[in-house]
Amino acid sequence: MTRLIPTEEELHAYVDERLDSGRRAHVQAWLAANPQEAARVEGWRADARHLRAALAGLNEQPLNPQLDLQPLRQRLRQRRHRRLASAAVLLLALGLGGLGGWQARNITLIANIAPMADAVQAHRLFADATALDLKASAPAQLQAWLDTHFNQIGPLPDLGSYGFEPVGARLLSNEQGPAALLVFQDLQGQRISLFLRSPSARFERMPSGQRTEGQLQARYWSHGAYNFALVSAAGDVRGEEVRKALGVSL
Amino acid sequence: MHDLDDQQWRELLQRLRRFALWLTRDASCADDLVQATVERALSRGGQRREADSLRPWLFSILYRLFIDGKRRERRHTRWLAWFGRAEQNAVGQGGAETEAIVQAQAGLQAFTRLPTEQRALLLLISVEGLSYKEAAQALDVPIGTVMSRLSRARSALRELTEGSPPPPALRRLK
Repeated sequence: MTRLIPTEEELHAYVDERLDSGRRAHVQAWLAANPQEAARVEGWRADARHLRAALAGLNEQPLNPQLDLQPLRQRLRQRRHRRLASAAVLLLALGLGGLGGWQARNITLIANIAPMADAVQAHRLFADATALDLKASAPAQLQAWLDTHFNQIGPLPDLGSYGFEPVGARLLSNEQGPAALLVFQDLQGQRISLFLRSPSARFERMPSGQRTEGQLQARYWSHGAYNFALVSAAGDVRGEEVRKALGVSL
Repeated sequence: MHDLDDQQWRELLQRLRRFALWLTRDASCADDLVQATVERALSRGGQRREADSLRPWLFSILYRLFIDGKRRERRHTRWLAWFGRAEQNAVGQGGAETEAIVQAQAGLQAFTRLPTEQRALLLLISVEGLSYKEAAQALDVPIGTVMSRLSRARSALRELTEGSPPPPALRRLK
C-alpha cells in the first residue's frame, strides 16, 4: 500500500486544523512514521501556540473610549456634515470671489474711462461753433430754455460778475441720454461751457473732481438729478470761482 | 455592525487592536489605525455585512490602511532625505509598550524580527484563526501566495526561535 506523501501545504493545514478528518488521520499516520517531519511540524505548532499565549494577554488592556461604537458613529456623522459645510463654504467663497472679481473688473474698466469725457468732447465740438440751437444774450433767456428741457434744475447764477455772458445753448444727446451744453464768453472772446446730463448707469454717484485734458480743464460734480461739468481753458483762474458759484446755485 | 452587541464589539475591537499593535509595534499608532479602520468601515456601509465575514473584512481594511501609511511614510522620509534632513528614527522604531512586552516574552523577540507581511500572516492565521481564504482576502494576495508565505514565515520563525539557522534540510530520497 503506497501512501502519498503529504504536501507542505497539507502539513500547514494540519497544524492549523484545516484538514478534513480523513486526510487528517492520513497525515497523522504519516507523521508517526516520519519522526523528523513530525518534529518540524511540532515546532510550527509550538510556535503558534506560543504566539497565541503571548498575545492573548493584551486583551486585558482597557479599551480606548474613543472607539465605542455609538460616539464613533456620531463623530463620523458630524465630520460628514462638517465636510459638507466646508464644501458649501468653499463654493460660496469661490462664487463671491468670482462675482467680486467681475465687479472689480467692471470698476477697473470704468476707471479707465475719464468721468464726463463727453463734456470735454462737446466743448471741443460746439463751444466755438456758431451752430448753437439757441442764441441768448440774457441769462433769463437761457434759464427759460433750460427749464423747458430739464425740469429738475436750479437757477443759473449770474456769471456776469466773473466777466462771462451767455452766448447760447445746444441740446445734445449721447448714450447716456439728453444733455445740454451752455456756452458763455467773456469780453476777450474766451469761452467756457457748462455741460449737464443725467447720470450714466456707470457713474451713478460721480465723485467731484477735476482734470486737465490738453488745453482744457474740466471740473465735474454731481448734484440733484444731474451730473455737471464745467469746461474752461486750462489755467483760467476764474474756472474755480465759477465752479463754486454754479455748485451753490444749481 | 448594528447586529453586534457591546460585548462582541469590544472583542472585535481588541482583536483589531492586537493585529494593529503587532503591525505597527506602537500602541498609539495602533489605536489610530483601529480608529481609522472602524471609521472607514462605518462609512462604507459595514452594517450590511454578515457577522462572520465582518472580521476578515475589517482586518483587510486595517492592513491596507497600514500599508498605505507605510508607503506614505517612506515617501515622506524620501522627501526629507531629498532635502538633506534624514530622519534618525525612521527605521526600526519599536514603541516602548511593545518593547516591554517583548522583554517579558522572550519568545516574541523572534516574532518581532519577522518581516511585516509574514508577521501579518501569522497573526491572522495562528492568532486570529482566519482561514487561508480569509487571510488571502485580508492581505489582498492570491491563496497560493498565502501558502508559500506561511511556509516561509514558519521556517523563519523557527530559525529565529532556535537561535541558529539549521542546515538546509536534505531529504533522503529512496
